[in-house]
Amino acid sequence: MKKVLIVDDAAFMRLAIRRVLEKNNFEVVGEAPNGEVSIVKYAECRPDVVTMDITMPDMSGIEALKKIRELDPDAKVVMVSAMGQESMVKEAIISGAKSFIVKPFKEDHIVQMLKKIAG
Amino acid sequence: MSEFLSNEPMLDMFVFETAQNIEQLEKTILDGEKTSRFSKTEIDEIFRIMHTIKGSSAMMSFKGISSLSHRIEDLFFYIRENPETDYDCSVVTDLILESVDFISGELENMKNGIFNESDSTWLEEKLCKTLRTVKGSDAAVLATEDEETAQANDEAAQADAKEDFGDWAELAGPCADEEARVSVAANLFQVVLHFVEGCDMENIRAFNIVYLLKKHAAGIRHFPEDLDSNESRDYIRRHGFTAFFRTDLSEEEVRGFFSQEVFLKEYSLVQFEYEADFEKEQASFDREPDAAGTKAPKPVPAQQRTQAANSGQSIISVNVAKLDALMDMIGELVIAESMVLHNPDLYGLQLDNFHKSAHQLHKITSELQDLAMSIRMVPLRNTFQKMHRIVRDMSRKCSKEVDLLITGEETEVDKNVIDHISDPLMHLVRNALDHGLESQEERLEKGKPPKGTVLLGARNEGGEIQIFVRDDGKGLNKAKLLKRAKENGLLTKPEHEMTEKEIYHLIFHTGFSTSDTITEYSGRGVGMDVVLRNIEGLGGRVSVESEEGKGTQFTVHFPMTLAIIDGMNVRVGNCTYTLPITVIKETIKPSGKDVIRDPQGNEMILFRGECCPVVRLHQIYGVRADTETISEGIVVMVETSDKMAGVFVDELIGENQVVVKALPRYINQISGIAGCTILGDGSISLILDVAGLAA
Repeated sequence: MKKVLIVDDAAFMRLAIRRVLEKNNFEVVGEAPNGEVSIVKYAECRPDVVTMDITMPDMSGIEALKKIRELDPDAKVVMVSAMGQESMVKEAIISGAKSFIVKPFKEDHIVQMLKKIAG
Repeated sequence: MSEFLSNEPMLDMFVFETAQNIEQLEKTILDGEKTSRFSKTEIDEIFRIMHTIKGSSAMMSFKGISSLSHRIEDLFFYIRENPETDYDCSVVTDLILESVDFISGELENMKNGIFNESDSTWLEEKLCKTLRTVKGSDAAVLATEDEETAQANDEAAQADAKEDFGDWAELAGPCADEEARVSVAANLFQVVLHFVEGCDMENIRAFNIVYLLKKHAAGIRHFPEDLDSNESRDYIRRHGFTAFFRTDLSEEEVRGFFSQEVFLKEYSLVQFEYEADFEKEQASFDREPDAAGTKAPKPVPAQQRTQAANSGQSIISVNVAKLDALMDMIGELVIAESMVLHNPDLYGLQLDNFHKSAHQLHKITSELQDLAMSIRMVPLRNTFQKMHRIVRDMSRKCSKEVDLLITGEETEVDKNVIDHISDPLMHLVRNALDHGLESQEERLEKGKPPKGTVLLGARNEGGEIQIFVRDDGKGLNKAKLLKRAKENGLLTKPEHEMTEKEIYHLIFHTGFSTSDTITEYSGRGVGMDVVLRNIEGLGGRVSVESEEGKGTQFTVHFPMTLAIIDGMNVRVGNCTYTLPITVIKETIKPSGKDVIRDPQGNEMILFRGECCPVVRLHQIYGVRADTETISEGIVVMVETSDKMAGVFVDELIGENQVVVKALPRYINQISGIAGCTILGDGSISLILDVAGLAA
């Protein structure tokens, strides 16, 4: 089972993603409500893939992505974005995000993405 | 993602989190209004909240909330990116508050299982209009942003923001340098990509592919050329994304590269043998105006998140039902403990070691009880903060300037109280503004500062929690109260015999209003009675203090806990009743001459110079008592919000902690009974509701 770390400041989104993933044979090894915690959790759990929200208080998803990639250059991070965040998604891609999904997303889209990225 | 809608926990979570966000939004917006300009932090916060709500509601397929929050996000995006913009803070505040109300209404509906979304287009139109006005007032910006404004005007505006497109050149610049070194005799390819339907941001996905391709290929040309605009996204959706490139990779390797892309539905790859064909094919795209796309819009700085918030790692949310269950279990434990320790089998036995262990057990259960109780305690902060909004709206409508001061908002009360205190408190605050405070002219005439003050506070005092609402207005007019009460036939005794307290408590009578004019908020005579009933329903009471010309204070008193109370068990015949200790003033063994009869023949007892009615439990509940002679029994003096009474009982059994249980459903509400409890010996005792008894 592939291990996933979910990073999102909205508990609702974390729960939504968790339920979808658990239904589809992923193991959710951790959740983080902001960028700072996500870095600690990444080091702790070493997930196969991270789903990263972009808009978060304190440390944005992009900052966290950069820090995680510093920690582990092979880290696989996918961004969870929303319409209107095009430029930020671009920045994330340049910073090493593997792919991205746009809220509201379909269940099979996120599953398909994570399966492919996690390998 | 409507599959979530049928999913109860998801819905609960959505409603809960959105409600929290809305509350925070309201607070932020009201703070901002005070300074008549939103600070950067506030704008960021509002933006972030709307962004979260937009995302979550879209996931739940609540289109109304989603597009409404999108509009607000748009508005605040503009304000954030254009800090010099001149906007009317109060207009924006009004709009946001209207939206807050709209979303709260929707959430309330969802809680009640109603999922028909209300129409939010009128609100969205207002928001669009405001955005246009804000943009319009920016004369300098106006000229350059005609296009964007026109887009905002578009009634059927797509659900996507034309928000912050970054500077393509700036982003693409560095990677261009990293372009792979490709030999001259490279392979020439054309690829046409089609993305999975509904994956969104196709232009950015194309950007992603180009970005990755640059590591292996050179001379990349793609159509549409500009990948920043919504037009390019729509173009890719319809016609696919075409790219020409030179690479040292073989066809197989190129196929391998594309097969890694996640949201690729299909692609066609063509390899050119001759340079001329490769160029010719590219040129054909150049001629197609659509494919070239529009030039990228002006660059906008990337978002920065500066809002501070706690990480919330050491805090978890727990369903209240679980806490209720925990409290119930602890209640059962307390009862079981009492049943063991006071077991009749133990009477008369010498049990030193048993008592030592029993003492230890008791210590642990009471600590556990305190702990469980403290988990249920929630600070009054949010409830108090909500009052800012009430005061703001009211002060506008009544044209009175008011300062709302809050103290003791950190005071914690039981979750149950928090859930039910909001409405009565709101009413008290409204009353303070509407009836308590004078108009500005009146205040100036009286030599008071023109701005009125309402103080809302809470404190822990003497084992109870007090929440008070004080105004510095005109105070209650006793003569007017009495006159109105007389007109409505509410007086139960001669005017001159009424104590100050009794006169003030007249306002809690159903149908009582001293206001000569009826306003939208108060003066219709419904309310104060409901306030009192709600508070007494929670086990609390209300007291009123007032000084004419100086102001009025309403104080709501609550016992610290409602689930487990200290009670005094009393006996009438073979029945046991429990009186909450907090209401007991004194117990007396009266002599026959202390009891007199009023003209209606009601028994009254003289207590500290006051005449109080005597409540005979055996008469009310039809129980055979040991004695019916006052001097042979005991009278327990109890006090409620406004009056005192003497409860006549056979004997006092003793004081102990009792767990309050609701009466079973098959027993209808009985006046004077608040609930029941199980005693140590397993028998049932009825908990008396003094307010009900004295009524």
